[in-house]
Amino acid sequence: MHADLGGLQGRLENIVGAEYVSADPEVTARFAVDGVKPGLTVRPGTQDEVSKVAATCSAAGATMIPWGGGTAMGLGNRPSSADAVVQLDRLDRIVEFDAANLCVTVEAGMRLGALQETVAEKKELLPIDPPADSKVTMGGLVATNQSGPGRLLYGTVRDWLLGMRVVLPDGQRIRCGGRVIKNVSGYDMNKLFIRSLGTLGILTEVTVKLLPLPVKRTAMVSLFPELSQATAAVGKVLESFLLPEALDVLNPEAMTLLAPSLELTAPAGSWGLAVSLAGSRETVDRQERDFAALFRDGGGVVTPLQDGRTVPAWDAIRNVFDLLPAPPAQRVLCKIAVSISRTGEMLAAAGALGERLGLSATVVAHAGSGVVWAAFPLGRTAPPEALLAEALEGLRAKAVATGGSLVLQAAPANLKARMDAWGKPGEGFDVMRRLKAEFDPRGLCNPGRFVGGI
Amino acid sequence: MAQKALVEELRKIVGEKNVLHSDVDMQLYQYDACLQERRPDAVAFVHSTEEVAGVVKVCNKLGVPFVPRGGGTNLSGGTIPIKGGVVVEMIRMNRILEVDRANLRARVQPGLFNLELGTALAPLGYQYLPDPASQKAATLGGNVAENSGGPHCFKYGVTTNHVLGMTVVLPDGQVATIGGKAPDTPGYDLTGVFVGSEGTLGICTEVVVRIMRLTEGVKTLLAIYDSIEEGSESVSAIVAAGMVPATLEMMDQLVIQAVEASIHCGLPLDCATVLIIEVDGLKDDLEAQTQAIVDLCKAHGAREVRVAKDDAERAMLWAGRRGAFGAVARLAPSYLVCDGTVPRTALPQVLRKVAEVGKKYDLRIPNVFHAGDGNLHPLILFDWRDAEQKARVMKAGMEILELCVELGGTISGEHGVGLEKIDAMRLVFTEADIHSQVRVKKAFDPRDLANPGKMFPVPAEVLSAR
Ligand SMILES: Cc1cc2nc3c(=O)[nH]c(=O)nc-3n(C[C@H](O)[C@H](O)[C@H](O)COP(=O)(O)OP(=O)(O)OC[C@H]3O[C@@H](n4cnc5c(N)ncnc54)[C@H](O)[C@@H]3O)c2cc1C
Repeated sequence: MHADLGGLQGRLENIVGAEYVSADPEVTARFAVDGVKPGLTVRPGTQDEVSKVAATCSAAGATMIPWGGGTAMGLGNRPSSADAVVQLDRLDRIVEFDAANLCVTVEAGMRLGALQETVAEKKELLPIDPPADSKVTMGGLVATNQSGPGRLLYGTVRDWLLGMRVVLPDGQRIRCGGRVIKNVSGYDMNKLFIRSLGTLGILTEVTVKLLPLPVKRTAMVSLFPELSQATAAVGKVLESFLLPEALDVLNPEAMTLLAPSLELTAPAGSWGLAVSLAGSRETVDRQERDFAALFRDGGGVVTPLQDGRTVPAWDAIRNVFDLLPAPPAQRVLCKIAVSISRTGEMLAAAGALGERLGLSATVVAHAGSGVVWAAFPLGRTAPPEALLAEALEGLRAKAVATGGSLVLQAAPANLKARMDAWGKPGEGFDVMRRLKAEFDPRGLCNPGRFVGGI
Repeated sequence: MAQKALVEELRKIVGEKNVLHSDVDMQLYQYDACLQERRPDAVAFVHSTEEVAGVVKVCNKLGVPFVPRGGGTNLSGGTIPIKGGVVVEMIRMNRILEVDRANLRARVQPGLFNLELGTALAPLGYQYLPDPASQKAATLGGNVAENSGGPHCFKYGVTTNHVLGMTVVLPDGQVATIGGKAPDTPGYDLTGVFVGSEGTLGICTEVVVRIMRLTEGVKTLLAIYDSIEEGSESVSAIVAAGMVPATLEMMDQLVIQAVEASIHCGLPLDCATVLIIEVDGLKDDLEAQTQAIVDLCKAHGAREVRVAKDDAERAMLWAGRRGAFGAVARLAPSYLVCDGTVPRTALPQVLRKVAEVGKKYDLRIPNVFHAGDGNLHPLILFDWRDAEQKARVMKAGMEILELCVELGGTISGEHGVGLEKIDAMRLVFTEADIHSQVRVKKAFDPRDLANPGKMFPVPAEVLSAR
C-alpha cells in the first residue's frame, strides 16, 4: 500500500537524523488520519530540511501529510493515502519580532499560544482566537484559516497575514507576500495557500501583523428565555455604533456546560449571549453600560464577567466542546457558515436536528460573523450512520440554500464514508482542480482530504 | 482583415453601437496614466455578465487577447492592450444591485465609481472603507483588480479585506460565482487570489463587499513640521504608543505648495512636511486620543498641530490630500509615481535616500504618501518630450524601488505591477517565486488571453499553451 518506504526511511534519516524518523507502529498509530495510518513520521528541524524531505518523498512518489498541532486533523475527508507524516513541531522558532513595526515572523510549527506570550512582552497581540490556541500552530492556523469569537472585530488570520514561505510538493521553496502591510507586487499568493489545508505545499514560515494590546478588556453574559430575544439583541448591536470584540450565542446545552466556568446559574432552557469588549478604558466602560441596558431591554438577565473573570470565561466559551463528556472520537463537529442574518435560523435548526435524533446538540454561534459550530455527541444511543448522514445532509441543504456551507470538522470515519466533509464543490471548481494540478501534479500532499477529492 | 471579423462578432454580442474600432477611438484607448501606449483592435462596451461572457468567448474563438478597463486611473499600465485585442469597457455596468444592511454587505457592479458607493451608503449610516485618493474616477472593478488601498488602510485594511465574493467571467468565457455573503466557502480562496490580479485572471462582473456602520466619531488633525524626519518619527511614535489611527498621511513641501496653488486649503507654504492624522471610532475616547497625538507630535518637533473643528474644516484637509496627485501636475508636464513600501520605521531613512537619488539624477522628487502603511509615493517630475531626462527618470525610479527592497520592503504597495514594474519583480522574487505565480496564471488562463504581457518577467511562450 505504501510507496517503497524502506528506502525512503533511510534517505529521510540522512536528512534529519535517525532519531527524527519513525516507522514504529506505536508512533505511526498516533498519527493516523481518520484511521489511515502513515508509513512513517518525519520531523525536520529547519525549513531547508522540510524542502529536502519533500523533494525526497516526491522523488519516491510518497504522499505527505503535513502535521502542525494536530488539532484540525479531523477536518475534511479521509486521506486516500498517507506515506509520510511531516511533523512541523521542531520548526518552532521566532525568526524576527519587529515590535516597532507591529510585525512578527515565525516558523510554521510555532504554537499560537507561544507566539502570543512573546509578543505580549511588548504589549502586542495577534487578535486571532481559535479554540485550543496553546496547541494550534501558525502553519495549521493559516492552512485552515480557523477562527474564534474575535472574528467579529478582527477578522481571521487571512486579514493579518503579510507573508509566508512555502515548500512546494517537489521541494522547491517559494516566498509569498513580505513583511510590509501593503503589498501588491504580483499575485496575492498568501491567499492561494490560506485554508488550502496543506494540499498545495507545506507552509514553513509565517509573517503576521500585530495589534497593540488593548488597555482594558471585559465581558458579560446575558441569559434569555428565547432564542428570538437573543437574536433580536444581536441585530440591535449590529445596527448600533457599538464595537464588541465578540458576540456569541450559546444554546441551552452549551449554557448548561458553561455555567460552572462562568460562575452563574442558568435556568434550564436559557439561551446565552456572551459579549467581549476591548479597548480604552473610556470606550469599554461606556460599552459595558450600553450593552447591559440593551440586553435588559431585550428581556435578558445580565451577568458581568469583569476583571479576573474575563479571560477564563472566554477561554471556556471558545473551548466549550472540551467540556462535553463524550470523547472527541465519539462526536460529530460541524461548522456551518451562513450570511449573518441566517445565524439564528441555523442555530435553531442544528438544535432541532439534535432533538430529532435524540442527541443533545451543543451549538455556539459567532453571531455577527455567520459562523455556527454544532457538536453532536454520539454515545451508545447514536442513530445508525445512514440516518445521521441523511439528517446532516438535510441541515447542510438548508445552509447551502442560503448560499452557505456545512463542513465536517471532525467525525467518525464511518460517517465520513457516507458523506462528503465539504459538500458539493461550488462554481470555480475547475480552476481549483487546475491549481492543484499546477502545484501538486502527482497529488502527493494531503491527497483526498480537500474539496471535491483534491 | 482580422479586425473586421472581430468587430462583426463583437457586434453580435453587444450591438453595433457598443463596438468602437475607428482610428480615433483606438487612439483614445491606447493609453492610461502609464508611459507606454498600444492601440487595441476594438473596444466593446458591456452591460451584463452575459455580454462579458459573450465577448470573452469571441476572443477565445478568434484567439484574441482582452483587457478589462474601468476608470483607467491605474498607475502601472494595467489597461494598456500591449498585445492588442479587445478592450472591454466596464463603465456602464455601474449599478448598486443591493444594499443588505442586515448582512452588512452590498452587491455592486464593477463599473461603479468607488465614491458613488460611499455616497449611496452614507445617508443610510454605512460606508465602504477602502477609499483610494482617486475614488471619484476609479471603479470598484479596478479597485478589486489592483487590490487598491487608500488613506484609511492603516486601520481598516485594503480592498482584499473588504471583498467577500464576486461573479467572474473566467478567461475561457465560463461564469463562476465565487465566495459570497456567507464566509468560508469551502475550497481554495479564489476570491482572494482574484483580488489584485490586475485583469489577468478574468473579468469581475459583480462584487460582494463588506459595508460597515459609519463610525460614531472622527477627529482630523494636521501636524506641521520644519523637518521631514520629525514628521516620520512622529508617525512611529504614535504607533508605538499603542494607538491605531485610521489615517497617517504625509505630504512634503513641494506637494504642499502645489496643493495650495490649486486648492487653497490653508496649508503653510514654508513648512517641510505635514501629517494628516485621523482617529475614529466610539466618541468616548476621541478627545483623549486627539490630545495624546497633539502632545506626541509636539514632543517630536511639530511646530503647530491643528485639530479640525467641524466637517467643513475636515473636508478641507482631505480635499488637499486627495487633490495632491492632480496638483503636482502643475509642477511639470509629467511625473513617474513610485509606489514602494517599507516597514514604517524605515521611513526617515528611505526618505533621506530618495532625496539623494533626486540629487544624483538631477531630478525634482516631491513626496506624498501613506506614512502609517510605510507606502511612499515619490513623484519624479520630468518632461516627457525630453528623452534623455526620461531615461534618467526610469533609472531613478528603479533605484528607489531597490532602496525599498533593501530596507525590507517591496516594489508596490497599491498601484500594481502592470507593465511598469515587470522588471522590478526580480528585485523581490526569485525565479521559483515568479514561476509559482505563473502557475496560478496558467490554472486560470491557459491560453494567456486575459490582459497578457503584464506582471511577469518571463517570455510569452512560458505563459501560453496556445
Ligand atoms: C490621482 C490618483 C490617485 C490615486 N490614489 C490611489 C490610492 O490612494 N490608492 C490606490 O490604491 N490607488 C490609487 N490610485 C490608482 C488607481 O486609481 C487604482 O488602481 C484604481 O483602483 C484603478 O481603478 P480603475 O477603475 O481606474 O481601473 P483601471 O485603471 O481601469 O484598471 C486597472 C486594472 O484593473 C483591470 N480591471 C478593470 N476592471 C476590471 C474588472 N471588472 N475585472 C477585472 N479586471 C478589471 C484592468 O485591466 C487593469 O489591469 C490613484 C490614481 C490616481 C490617478
